[in-house]
Amino acid sequence: MADLVRTGPERLARRGASRGPVREFLTFALGPDLFGVELARIKEILIPPPITGVPRAPADVLGVCSVRGLLVTVVDLKARLRLADRARSRRSRILLAIAPDGEAVGLVVDEVRQVVRLTEEDMELASAGLGGEVSEFVLGVGRPQGDFIVLLDLGAVVAN
Amino acid sequence: MADPIDKARDEFLSEAQEIVETLSRNLLDLDTSVRAGSADPALVNEAFRAVHTLKGLAGLFGAGRLGHLSHRLEDLLDDLRLGRMVLAPEVLDVLFSAVDAYARLLAMARQGSDEAIPAVEDLLARLDSLAQHAPGKSSPNSDYDLDPGLLAVLTEYEEHRLRANLEQKLGLYRLRVEFDLATIDKALEDLKERAKRHGEIITYLPAGEATSPDAIELDLLMASRDDLATLIGSLGADNVVIEELPRRRSVASMTPKGPAGVVAQQQGVESAVPVRAGDAGLDQGPSLRSLTQTVRVDIRKLDNLMNVVGELAIVRGTLARLAERLRAEGERRVAADLLRLHRSFDRRLAEMQAGILEVRMVPLGQVFERLARVVRQIGREMEKDIRLVITGAETEIDKLIVEELSDPLMHMIRNAIDHGIEAAARRLEVGKPIAGTIALNAYQKGNHVMIEVEDDGRGIDGDAVVDKAVRLGKISAEDAKELGREEVLALVFLPGLSTRGTVDDVSGRGVGMDIVKTNIGRLGGIIDVQSESGIGTKMTITLPITLAIVSALMVDVAGHTFAIPLSTVSEALSLDAGGTRLLDGREVITLRGTTLPLCRLERVLKLTRPAGQPAVHRSYVVVVSLGNRRLGLVLDHLVGQQDIVIKPLGRSLASVRGFAGATELGDQRVGLVIDAAAIVDEVLTHTDHREAPPVHG
Repeated sequence: MADLVRTGPERLARRGASRGPVREFLTFALGPDLFGVELARIKEILIPPPITGVPRAPADVLGVCSVRGLLVTVVDLKARLRLADRARSRRSRILLAIAPDGEAVGLVVDEVRQVVRLTEEDMELASAGLGGEVSEFVLGVGRPQGDFIVLLDLGAVVAN
Repeated sequence: MADPIDKARDEFLSEAQEIVETLSRNLLDLDTSVRAGSADPALVNEAFRAVHTLKGLAGLFGAGRLGHLSHRLEDLLDDLRLGRMVLAPEVLDVLFSAVDAYARLLAMARQGSDEAIPAVEDLLARLDSLAQHAPGKSSPNSDYDLDPGLLAVLTEYEEHRLRANLEQKLGLYRLRVEFDLATIDKALEDLKERAKRHGEIITYLPAGEATSPDAIELDLLMASRDDLATLIGSLGADNVVIEELPRRRSVASMTPKGPAGVVAQQQGVESAVPVRAGDAGLDQGPSLRSLTQTVRVDIRKLDNLMNVVGELAIVRGTLARLAERLRAEGERRVAADLLRLHRSFDRRLAEMQAGILEVRMVPLGQVFERLARVVRQIGREMEKDIRLVITGAETEIDKLIVEELSDPLMHMIRNAIDHGIEAAARRLEVGKPIAGTIALNAYQKGNHVMIEVEDDGRGIDGDAVVDKAVRLGKISAEDAKELGREEVLALVFLPGLSTRGTVDDVSGRGVGMDIVKTNIGRLGGIIDVQSESGIGTKMTITLPITLAIVSALMVDVAGHTFAIPLSTVSEALSLDAGGTRLLDGREVITLRGTTLPLCRLERVLKLTRPAGQPAVHRSYVVVVSLGNRRLGLVLDHLVGQQDIVIKPLGRSLASVRGFAGATELGDQRVGLVIDAAAIVDEVLTHTDHREAPPVHG
């Protein structure tokens, strides 16, 4: 994943200046928008294996799949976040995370982008009053170098 | 990921549980021996040791209440084994309730709670009152806190000698001697002879730490009136290390170690391993070396291993396909090699799978022993003399199943004693022996384990059962008239059908058999009942041997593959379109003269048929049966039979009914496992207010 980490000189300089704690986020696209989750919470990034639909499952659960013997519940992240856009991308990937109760949950995203390192200055946390209506899944927003990333609370997303 | 403290606690709890089970078994034997005329001293000793070990464990883990109870019980058992108290039935009652008290304490400890339990307080009070009847206490053995591991290997005679020596207030010494294997016989005799002047060698055990392959080290336990210095002077040599066994200290002072000068006195309180002066720092404190060769394993670890086996099975399949492809491409020699490899892999894998399954297996005896206690207790409560006959206790079954079995079996036995076995007067009247017999039989039958609970009581009164079922509105009076004996008996599994009018302590709360049946069903098992009026009742439980691997029928419906556990399948047949008729708005077929309700899986699961896959003309019916309820599942194709490993669905799918889990199909795909019980329940209960029978047939 090293090639995904952008460490330009200006970034290092910024980091040196702010001295705040740095958090690593994995960013990915859902439709036109950019989202991020804390990198440490993602166990693996998977090319989607065949997924078996589960009849009667909640609408945002696409089904189950097996990752080397581990049974994974596959969640359509766009549906869980109640985004209108539901198109499937050919570059879609599954982010594998383990829920607090031990359930392996795979989140389907349209495209994995990169890992960004955010200092506190780069982030506006929802808890600090982001304004507007904020979903229970949103941790805040990150604004590294003009980008706009919606940071998701992975725990809340997979807990359900 | 488990917290090491949690892990240690888990291990403590499961070890304590095992010891309590041993104690319980021991008490039952003791009960038998008391009834036969005299309490076997070896059994009393065993019980004592069990409690003693528990006390030690409780001390290590700071389980205060457990330790306190153990301490008091230890005193009682000590009085018993030293003949200061007679083992009367009342005393045994107290001991038996101690087993229950332990169970409660352990359950509380498991929840991390340390509240007072009334039953335990009550027991302590009873122990108090027993103790008042016992004469003064000065146990000749109480000066030494001997390693239970050591006591366990003493022969009866050795133990007797040990006690006799202790009664004379002799000191105990341990001699570690290294013998040359070639001359050990003579050397040992010589040493014994020389030791006679000072006292007596009670026993010797291999210490297993010899310095060369031609030598063996023995630990000799010796009682002597002389002090350590005298003994060293007389018996000491290069190959002999002598150590005085410390007298008992209070439990509280167990942990701290004295300064170097007194180490020799303190070492090996409970250890059979003396320490040479040179390496005193290495081996302090109680020996943790276990005398047994067994390990305790968390069953989840076995599940993980089983998953790995499942994956290897997939590798095996790939290997076979690869070999086929090579053969097709003309690489005959490589293909042949690969096939050989595949066969060998296949065999090893099968061995490994069997091996893991074997580890999961435990004898049913574990649960039977607990039941034996229940029988004794209920028998005494109800003043019925009950003879319990157990056969097949060695029959093995999956550990997880055993855990779930004790409650249902307990219900069945309570029922048998309460409703089945007649009062003594009545039994005399009809010419039966006064003691009622309850037989608990287990045996293996193919891939299933059968467990029978049989009593020689009055049998089930069919008329009374039918009356009650009609009164409760479970069946109509007209239907009732047409029931055969088997169907009548099946009524006892309906909710609320307890044949007793009054609610009492033992059974008759009306929560009996339907719960039993549900619990057995959850394990993939079924229960049948046979009963003859005046002669007795026999309940038979059929269970799969393991939950880890299940034989399943693989089926296709609307392009989806499902697995149906074979334990629930009674038969499969083909169905021509239009071969069904409607009855009360439900599709049914007539199968060998009886009516079988159908359920189209495609419809009930709301499956979407992939585009371009038309509905089949000829479909199949898989008949699933749960006890007396039968349902035909209509589907497209039967794919075949396969052994599968069921994995539970995650929490996000907990609300989804109808599936018992998922399984890997190979080629990376996953199939869902049909929970036949849930589907039958859903389909038959929601639209059928009769709830259960009579579904004729």
